[in-house]
Amino acid sequence: MADSKKNNVTRRTLLKAGATIPLLGVAAPAVLAQGTSKSPTKVLDFMTNADVAKAEQEGQLVFYCHENEAGTAGIMEGFKKDFPKINTSYVRAQTGALYNKIVSERSAGRFDVDVIQLSDLAPAVDFQKKGGYEHYVSPETPAYKADHLSTPAGSFFWTGVDPAGIAYNSTKVSAADAPKTWQDILNPRWKGSISCKISASGLQFVQWYALRKLYGPGFWKEFAKLNPHAFDSRVQLFDRLAKGDDIITAIGEYPAYILFKDKGAKVEFVAPPDGLVATPLVVGAVNKAPHPEAAKLFVDWAMSKRGQAWYQSNPNLYYGSVRTDAPPMPTGVRLGDLKLLYPADWDDYAAQRDVFAKEWNGMLGL
Amino acid sequence: MSEAAVPSPTSSISAQQLAGYGVAAVAAVLVLYPVFFLFQAALDVGDPQIRPPTAYGLDNFSGIFQYPQILLNTLTVSVAATVMALVFGFVMAWILTRTNVPGRHLFEQLMAVPYYLTPLLGALAWSLLGAPESGFINQIWRALGGSGHLIDINTAYGIAWVMALFEGSVAFVMIAAVMKSMDPSLEEASQIMGASRLRTMLRITLPLVVPGVLGAAIFVFAEMLGSFAAALVLGLPNRYYVITTAIYQLVQQYPPKIQVAAAMGVSLFAVMFFMLFLYRRIVMSGSYVTITGKAFRPRVADVGPLRYLLLGVCVLYLLAAVGLPLATLLYASLQKLAVAFPAAGNWTLDNFRVAVTMNAVRSALANSLLLGFGTATIGVVLMGLLAWLIYRSRLPASGLIEYVVMFPQAVPRLVFAFGLMWAWVVFPVPIYGTLWLLLLAYLTVFMPLGVRTIAGVMLQIDKSLEECAQMCGASWAFRVRTVTIPLLVPGLVAAWLLLFIASIRELGASILLMGPHSKVITPSIVESWFGTSSELTAAMALIQTLVVACAMVVLVAVTRRVGAHSVE
Repeated sequence: MADSKKNNVTRRTLLKAGATIPLLGVAAPAVLAQGTSKSPTKVLDFMTNADVAKAEQEGQLVFYCHENEAGTAGIMEGFKKDFPKINTSYVRAQTGALYNKIVSERSAGRFDVDVIQLSDLAPAVDFQKKGGYEHYVSPETPAYKADHLSTPAGSFFWTGVDPAGIAYNSTKVSAADAPKTWQDILNPRWKGSISCKISASGLQFVQWYALRKLYGPGFWKEFAKLNPHAFDSRVQLFDRLAKGDDIITAIGEYPAYILFKDKGAKVEFVAPPDGLVATPLVVGAVNKAPHPEAAKLFVDWAMSKRGQAWYQSNPNLYYGSVRTDAPPMPTGVRLGDLKLLYPADWDDYAAQRDVFAKEWNGMLGL
Repeated sequence: MSEAAVPSPTSSISAQQLAGYGVAAVAAVLVLYPVFFLFQAALDVGDPQIRPPTAYGLDNFSGIFQYPQILLNTLTVSVAATVMALVFGFVMAWILTRTNVPGRHLFEQLMAVPYYLTPLLGALAWSLLGAPESGFINQIWRALGGSGHLIDINTAYGIAWVMALFEGSVAFVMIAAVMKSMDPSLEEASQIMGASRLRTMLRITLPLVVPGVLGAAIFVFAEMLGSFAAALVLGLPNRYYVITTAIYQLVQQYPPKIQVAAAMGVSLFAVMFFMLFLYRRIVMSGSYVTITGKAFRPRVADVGPLRYLLLGVCVLYLLAAVGLPLATLLYASLQKLAVAFPAAGNWTLDNFRVAVTMNAVRSALANSLLLGFGTATIGVVLMGLLAWLIYRSRLPASGLIEYVVMFPQAVPRLVFAFGLMWAWVVFPVPIYGTLWLLLLAYLTVFMPLGVRTIAGVMLQIDKSLEECAQMCGASWAFRVRTVTIPLLVPGLVAAWLLLFIASIRELGASILLMGPHSKVITPSIVESWFGTSSELTAAMALIQTLVVACAMVVLVAVTRRVGAHSVE
């Protein structure tokens, strides 16, 4: 009851906010949904439409996230460090289970979450269609290209990108023998010693889609003949790679490579000339959030240079930033310097989900 | 004599009926309410994103038979693990409760350790030990001049071995509880008649513990069917899938195929109920009473020098199930990247530093201990009454209640959790996302465990003892308090400890039902293993083990005093 009342008040207030459109220089529907008629304010070193005092009064931010425990805790730690009066809590699960959880909760009339982060664009678009996101356009939005925002802007944005190439164990494979291109992973030499991710992975779906477009459907049929081992997370893939259980991984995520290299693992990374496959990690404030000002403040913080620097430099995240003025990653490389392979048509990509799941699960004996 | 001791027959029947129907109603609500949602999902053939379902049908069930290899794998692993667990459980229970093996009380306490060490950690430790390439044992083997690998834990029997060690402790606890309640004069009589110790064990001890063994067999088999962590850690590297890992894939992917997973889970009801039917047929067709009006004092047999051989068996078992895994985890947790022969620069204490600063290890551990205590305490009362209702009361439909109680055991908890979530998210009382929901969930999913453990002992108590008290004019409540419960104390204590441990190590249901303010430890450790590192996970597990071990020492001391008081 309290939630719906809050929501009504917000919307009425928003409808009066049209006059601020020229000031903000953003799309009208987004401004109408901002819930405030005042100009953005500067907090720390970024701009926000949130009422920081109110957000601190709310005193809480509830975050749903696909990221692993340490990564999710890391994101919350970064925000909490900047806003110590706002306590943070989170639930983490794989994107599929997380999405089902939030949809079930909302269909039962429960609205416990403020912000959600997903590792796959398809469920984010679904959630947007269901009206799950709060329509909020952050003043930090101009620092992002339209491709990296929801359509229309204001539902979610790309908080980072997870690029992947090929990785191998350098004690088992010499640099000369190491694969150089994506086609090289089909070498029968890797049979029984190559790894990939399971079909729940958004990145694995992107790789399947992108390489299938480049090299045709036969590419993955050849790959299946290698009896690849499939795992849930990038850490598992690199853990096995570092210990020699697998000697090559077909989907070596750059953030995991940096993490394991730091640990002294004998692993090497290959960026095929056709590009690194990449998936966006998307963040958005949820509507009917119990702590709406804190939710907006978090979105602004996450979009800001400050938040992006945190995402990029936390060892459990190492997301590449798509901000136009993003700082370099810890290795000195900027995401913009890398050639990235995204699906050219995200709608077609989303439509292929079932085909992918069937082929991938079949390949793995499921 | 108190007023309650001389009631009229009418009031006695009313008290029984009141308690019976009350407990049955609570059990039915706890179990059938989520089961309804599970069936609803299994029959949902409409848009999976819309609830309640828009269309019903049986299409989801057709998917089950598309995976014959997975069904065969599941059966192979479950049967192998059950047989191993029962053999380990029976042998260890016999040694520790019926013989004078040195240090048996210490060993008995240690037997619970693999159970709360959690199968995931057992699997992780054995994976570190026995992976063909990187396993420590195989690395040492190659360093000594061997080639290839000495052991391969990533096989069906490797998985079964780990499952039996870390999930099979329940067999020991259940069988040991029965053995403790057995009159040793029966075995003594056999030996006086000239039977050897082995013959006595096989011809007297074994038949007398049949209800306990059968209960344990059904229970362990169901546990193995629903076992997840060991198959996930050890099976996946070798592309060896069982039904739970297949279900896991279905519910994790987007869009999640919850409906097909629910159909798979619901189908397991049929398997479980067939086994329960068999169990009831066997139990009802014979008498397994060992506690009668004749007084006895639990005694152990003097097995002479053989006890040192039996001591060796105990040490070997605990080395495989406790010592080696814990040492391996400690060894791994002190390294940046766990290997058998680490370089000087590979050693670190950083994993422990990170682990103790993580919220997962502080608040989650406290929540887990609190829930363990609550679940065990409420559970023993609830499940004790249910066991009495099923096996002792003459209330109509008591057999039906047993089938209801067994529902949660029949479905992997990963799937049952969805029924729980759908059920309690729409419940008007706001418990969703709180520790109360986890308490309800634990009471529900562990109902079969508690009832089966207590029932194993209850079946051994001669009804004539209660009837005798009734003839003397004792009311039902007075009889339960002064006759049934004191005789049940070993079973109740075992059930309490089992429920406590089971709650702390629970994974499948918690992973979905945890709210932002109601985190518990095991899923956090699992998440760490998935997404952080096996070294940090090892550190977290060791901290959990240490804290839970301290709690167990206190609890065992308390329960021992309760037991001693009861004997007096």
